Amino acid sequence: MEKLYELVENFTSYPGVSGYESMAFEELENYVKSLGIFDEFGTTPAGSFYGIIRCGKKDAEMILCDAHLDTIGCLVTEICDGGFLKVANVGGIAGKILSGSDVNIYGKKAIKGIFASKPPHLQEPGESEKKIEVVDMCIDTGLSKEELEKIVRIGTPVAFPCRLEKLVDNNLAGAGFDDRLCGAAIVRGLMMLDKSKLNVDVAFQFSGGEEIGYKGARTNTYKLNPDKAIVIDVTHAFVPGAPKAREAVYAGKGGDICLSPQTNRAFTKYCIEVCKKENIPYQISASPGATGTNSNAVQTTRNGVPVMLISIPLKNMHTMSEIVNMDDAYNTARVVSAVIQSL
Amino acid sequence: MKRYLKKYCDILGPSGMEDAVREAIIADIKDSGCEYKTDAVGNLLVFKKGKKSRAKKVLFSAHMDEVGFMVKYIDEQGYILFDAIGGVDRRVVSGRRLVFCESNLPGVVASKAVHMQTPEEKGKCEAISSMHIDIGASDRETALKYVSIGDCATFVPNYEEFGDGMVCSKALDDRFGCAILVAMINSELEYDTYFAFNTCEEVGCDGAKEVAHNLRPDVVVVIETTTAGDILGVPKSKCACQVGSGAVLSIMDRSTIYDQGLLEAAVEIATEKNIKWQYKNVIAGGNEAGEYQRGAEGAKVLAISAPARYIHSQSNVLKMSDMEAVADLVSALNERSFD
Repeated sequence: MEKLYELVENFTSYPGVSGYESMAFEELENYVKSLGIFDEFGTTPAGSFYGIIRCGKKDAEMILCDAHLDTIGCLVTEICDGGFLKVANVGGIAGKILSGSDVNIYGKKAIKGIFASKPPHLQEPGESEKKIEVVDMCIDTGLSKEELEKIVRIGTPVAFPCRLEKLVDNNLAGAGFDDRLCGAAIVRGLMMLDKSKLNVDVAFQFSGGEEIGYKGARTNTYKLNPDKAIVIDVTHAFVPGAPKAREAVYAGKGGDICLSPQTNRAFTKYCIEVCKKENIPYQISASPGATGTNSNAVQTTRNGVPVMLISIPLKNMHTMSEIVNMDDAYNTARVVSAVIQSL
Repeated sequence: MKRYLKKYCDILGPSGMEDAVREAIIADIKDSGCEYKTDAVGNLLVFKKGKKSRAKKVLFSAHMDEVGFMVKYIDEQGYILFDAIGGVDRRVVSGRRLVFCESNLPGVVASKAVHMQTPEEKGKCEAISSMHIDIGASDRETALKYVSIGDCATFVPNYEEFGDGMVCSKALDDRFGCAILVAMINSELEYDTYFAFNTCEEVGCDGAKEVAHNLRPDVVVVIETTTAGDILGVPKSKCACQVGSGAVLSIMDRSTIYDQGLLEAAVEIATEKNIKWQYKNVIAGGNEAGEYQRGAEGAKVLAISAPARYIHSQSNVLKMSDMEAVADLVSALNERSFD
């Protein structure tokens, strides 16, 4: 569990708003190399990073584990008088949670900014109950416009800083868990493998551009040409006020294995049997349509790749305070390990 | 002043729970040669002898409390229902990290993922009384081991310098005022001076009511933060005051009509000493000066404030040069006899 925490701490510290994943490549590669579990590394143009473990057996099949590298955030759209920035969101972000919150602005150097909140004397009666969109807000950098123009340009990415905070019952709060947490769970799972008993090559891909159309997953999977794949993302844990059907997935009850036309039912059933055999807690949810993850992009690459999708339940997704139960992340790592080892 | 600022800002002290702030202040002033006492309801009253005495009783005042949150109920699933202590805009609460006083337990104000919001909910912020705090507890029984009804929390301590000489913290309002007063107490004073660090400003300036009765001052100078509305797109006429333009002198707000003589003296000193200053140009907000003005037999009051953006959020933003201007002006003002 400590090792998993350390992985999460590392992976959530890199910038990497969709389209700017390459900002994370160098630190990510250095860190992953230091773990000493991969035989090969590489990147592909749509912002994906990968590592491969070779089993050493001739004509071995390859299983791919996918999580996405990109995070939600904003891009600068205008540099304004008084050192304020206008931004547009990348990925779904609710404007109503931003007033007074702080962000990192990844210009020529990283600087701090704060989403301005309108003082009471400027508000119309009832204004705080009204809709507020990201594009209607501005970020205060505390710099003059002239200084700011030296650091920031149109398109500069902006993201929530990740401050990890341990909560009760092995819960952890942070930002960017979607989907860095899942990358951490995969690597933790791969660290559990007994390499001498491995019959397949194993690839880990941290794919780019998921939040804006699954681009990196498709292209990196094309490059790796795997025979099977486990896609890992986050899913919504049930919270008060959520739709009834969401009660299928609670935090603390294990990874959520998804049954969907966009995943492979035979391989998914196989994985469920592995979980049962190894006594690993899991939950099952259903996505009759799109899964909203990389599963479809991976599954439809080249001749088709059978995909199993397992998601880690998350509360407050796409906020600066996402919450995960670390037992769920650990049990998801166990699923990754057990399935690969069983092949 | 700066040496006290971060320390005081990072203390948890919502209205009614100012004890930790008061203890930190006492630790910093106890060797200064001042006399101090804590009154029956937690206000800290200080007297420091100067080189000379003066006929008028002159008091400098700042408040110790900050806005915060209080637990109202813990539900079956271990979620904590709560409400704000003091005036907090609902839009600065959702998704924020909080920390409980005394236990230092961290919590998160839950914010339903954007994907799960109904079209009706989307973009709109629910009332604070409809939000909940998540401490990670899986049920009520677990939560009750950590939290009880009536427990208080504040935004997490987050003092940080950024931008061009800016400072950001949850509690610059009004630990900044406390820091200025402590620096004055630790300096050599021209005249005998009274100081008050009061409680419960954010919930109705209650502390100042008691201080006014206790001390019966003739002249009161309140050191505060005041809202700067100088954000993008706001015309100067509606800004109230501007960050970077120096100490703010209020003419009138929702609680006080400030003394014209004191205002003139402050303007005169600022001009003479070349201290940057500005008028607050809207009639809005208020502070404990109102309680001094109408407390006991009444007093002549003045407020000298630092312009502050986003007060009552996790990110009060002030500029160091403005805070220094306030410190300079307040010290210079206290060199007068007020006769």
